Parts: sequence; structure tokens; C-alpha cells
Amino acid sequence: MSIKADNLSKNYLHFRVLVKLSFEIREGTCFALFGPNGAGKTTLLRILATLLRPTEGSFELLGMDGVRDKAKIRESLFLISHGSYLYDDLTAIENLHFTLSVRGADISPQKIKSSLDRVGIGAFGNLKSRYLSAGMKKRLSIAKALLINPKILLMDEGYASLDEKGVGMLNGCIREMTRNGTTVFMTTHERYRAAEVADRASILINGALQDLPLEKLAGTDAIF
Amino acid sequence: MRFFNVIRSIFYKDILSEIRNRENISSMLFFALAVILIFSFSFSMDAKTTLDLMPGIIWVAFGFTGIIGLGKSFLTEVHNDCMEYLQMAPVPKGAIYLGKLAGNVFFMLMAEIILLPLFIVFFNLEILDKLPVLLLIFLFATIGLSTLGTLFSALTVQVRAREVMFPVLLLPLAVPVFIGAVEATRGAMSGDPLALYGHWIWLLGIYDLIFVLVAFWIFDFILDY
Repeated sequence: MSIKADNLSKNYLHFRVLVKLSFEIREGTCFALFGPNGAGKTTLLRILATLLRPTEGSFELLGMDGVRDKAKIRESLFLISHGSYLYDDLTAIENLHFTLSVRGADISPQKIKSSLDRVGIGAFGNLKSRYLSAGMKKRLSIAKALLINPKILLMDEGYASLDEKGVGMLNGCIREMTRNGTTVFMTTHERYRAAEVADRASILINGALQDLPLEKLAGTDAIF
Repeated sequence: MRFFNVIRSIFYKDILSEIRNRENISSMLFFALAVILIFSFSFSMDAKTTLDLMPGIIWVAFGFTGIIGLGKSFLTEVHNDCMEYLQMAPVPKGAIYLGKLAGNVFFMLMAEIILLPLFIVFFNLEILDKLPVLLLIFLFATIGLSTLGTLFSALTVQVRAREVMFPVLLLPLAVPVFIGAVEATRGAMSGDPLALYGHWIWLLGIYDLIFVLVAFWIFDFILDY
């Protein structure tokens, strides 16, 4: 299993956000997590990203303990978050260079150029990131994910800020990455966009997970 | 190898950002310039008084100029959640600390190198023959201040009362650096034999070593608490 949670709970002071979640996600699949605002989707994602510790329970990523082995897990993990992780005074290319060099990844200029082309911002590589729009910043984050090629890709509202072409590009990248063995875990409100790539879906309500059949995801009835 | 690549990448990134926005260095220099002008117009000093007062004046300017820059050191990491990316980076967090420290030492030294000629001109100092030992003292004291400043900047950057917390944490622990720097600078500027003030330089060196090691070790807990 790529991701495995066992009785995972998280409290913020006395407020219980996640209640004894147990689930498993196979390698090379795309898992879409839905839920109302404040349901705890981002909290769950941040726990899986090793940024938060669960209050109770445990989780494993790639067979390693999520708390004890987080340094090792981070080698194989990438998070596309609400924050762009970009330095405003560096260009898009310089930001990519920095991101990769901090991870010790291959930084051939050719690879960087082709990843920018792939996400549709090849012409803006030398523009300072402060001048990039929110959608372009999201595309740059996707370019980072492509270059890093993680074993687990976590996405918090991955479709946010993307235009129609951007959504198509992101879904194409997700398909390619899952084909190559990457496990994608995404939180989203975009049910139809996610339906195109998700292998499994769940809803997080009142701190608990409920399976969501994919046909219901693609239908017109309200999902929660 | 990756360890040193991280240090180099962070150092290079900080230098490049500063060259482009000049936010830190300009505020540091304007503050220091104001200090020099105020002191130079406040005192009418003979040669002996100058030697007595100059070490203190120099370190008021250098020290507090440095504190202005050091306090902002991690602000660039907060924008766009870059700190979170560094937290998740699969590298020893100590390498991130050393990269930031190298950048801070560089900026402080640059400010000092720009300010020193102004001190010489405004206060009519005759210290050219003592420059090598003075530069060594400046280097050690700057590393000492930057070591703590970088650490506390990371610790307080997400705190709402950052501007209050940063000096409150830094200044008490920086007292040995200020004392050592002032005493060593006085000895060097007076032309005393090194044996008379060398122990202050040793103090600065040992302080630097201890706090670099401690900060390197605990930075993991600060970034990844």
C-alpha cells in the first residue's frame, strides 16, 4: 500500500476534526477527497504531508511510519498546496532551480524548459514570480511536481485558479504520473474535473470518511 | 554533497533576492548612517576621547544595523508559505540554517564594509594600519550576532509580536558579543599589543563556535516542531 491510515484522529484543542480514520490507497491510483468547508480535508492532507502530527492513531506512507520516518518519507513526497512556495523576486526558472536543488534533484536546464512548456508557461520562464497570475503559479507548482516525479503527490484544491486548458493539462499530468506508479491524493470541490481522473473517491463529513461511488461523482445529484 | 548544495542554494537565493529588492540592505544602511551623523554632530572629540568612545559608537551602529537586517531574515520564507516547503525538504535542516546564516553574515559584513570608511572620515580615525585585526574582530562579532539573529528570526517569524519578541530574545544573549567586540575593538584601535586584548577575540571565537553548533543542532526542532 502506498498510503495507509489506522484510526487516525486529530484534535485542535477540544475540537475533534478527524475521528478514527482508517483507509488504504494503492500505489499508482488517484484518490479524490471531497467534503464541505471545514470538514478537515486540509488537516488530513497536512498530516499525510508530515506537516502535522495526528493526535491519535498512525499512518504509513510507502510502508514507512508517518511520524517516525518522516525524514525518509519526504524524499518521495510532494505537496501542491494553497501556498505557491515561490520567492517573489526570483524568476519562474530560478524558483524551479531552487526547489530542485534543495531536494538534490536533477536540474538540467533542458528538463526545466520542457516542464515549463508542458504546463503552458514556457514563455514566462524569465518573469519574476511576483508578476505571475494565480493560475500561472499553480502551473509552476505542477511543473515542480513533474520534475520531482514523487512517489506520492498530495494536492490541496489542485484545480483552484486553473482555466479549462489548465485543468486538462493537470488531468493529463495526473494520468501520466499514476501510470508511472505515482499515487495521487487530492482534496477538491471540482467533482466533474476529478471524475475524469479519480480511481477512488471519498467524502469527509463530521470527521469520518464515506466511500463515494465514481458513478455518483459523475452524476448530477448532490454528493453531500 | 547535497548538504553543501543546500547551503549554497539558500545563500545564492538570499543574495539574488536582496540584490533585486534591496529591502534589507537599504534600511540597514540608512539606520547606520543616521547613527553616524547623530554621534558625529553630538560630540566634539579629541584623539583620546575618540579612542575611548569609538568602539562603543561603532558597535551601536554595527550591532543595531545588523539587528534590523537579522529580524527580517526569515520574512521572505513566510511569503507564499516557502517556510513550509523548507520544512518538507528532505535535507538536514541544519543545512538550511547554515545557508541563511551565511547570507546574514554576508549582508552584515557588506554593511560594515560600507560604513567603516564613513567612520574614518566623520571621526578622523587613523586606523588603516590596524585594519586586518579590526576586520577579524568585525568578522567574529558579526558571526556571533548573526548566529543568534538567524535562529531567533526563524523562531519569531510566525509570531504576531515579532518585532517585540526578536530583540527581547536576542539582546540578552548577545551581550557577551557586544562586550567582547567593544573591548577587542578598543584594544585594536588603541594599538595595544595583541596579548592585552587577544582574550576578547578568543571569547568571540568560542562564542561563535558554541552557538553555531547549538543553533545547527536545534534548528531541526524549530523548523519542524
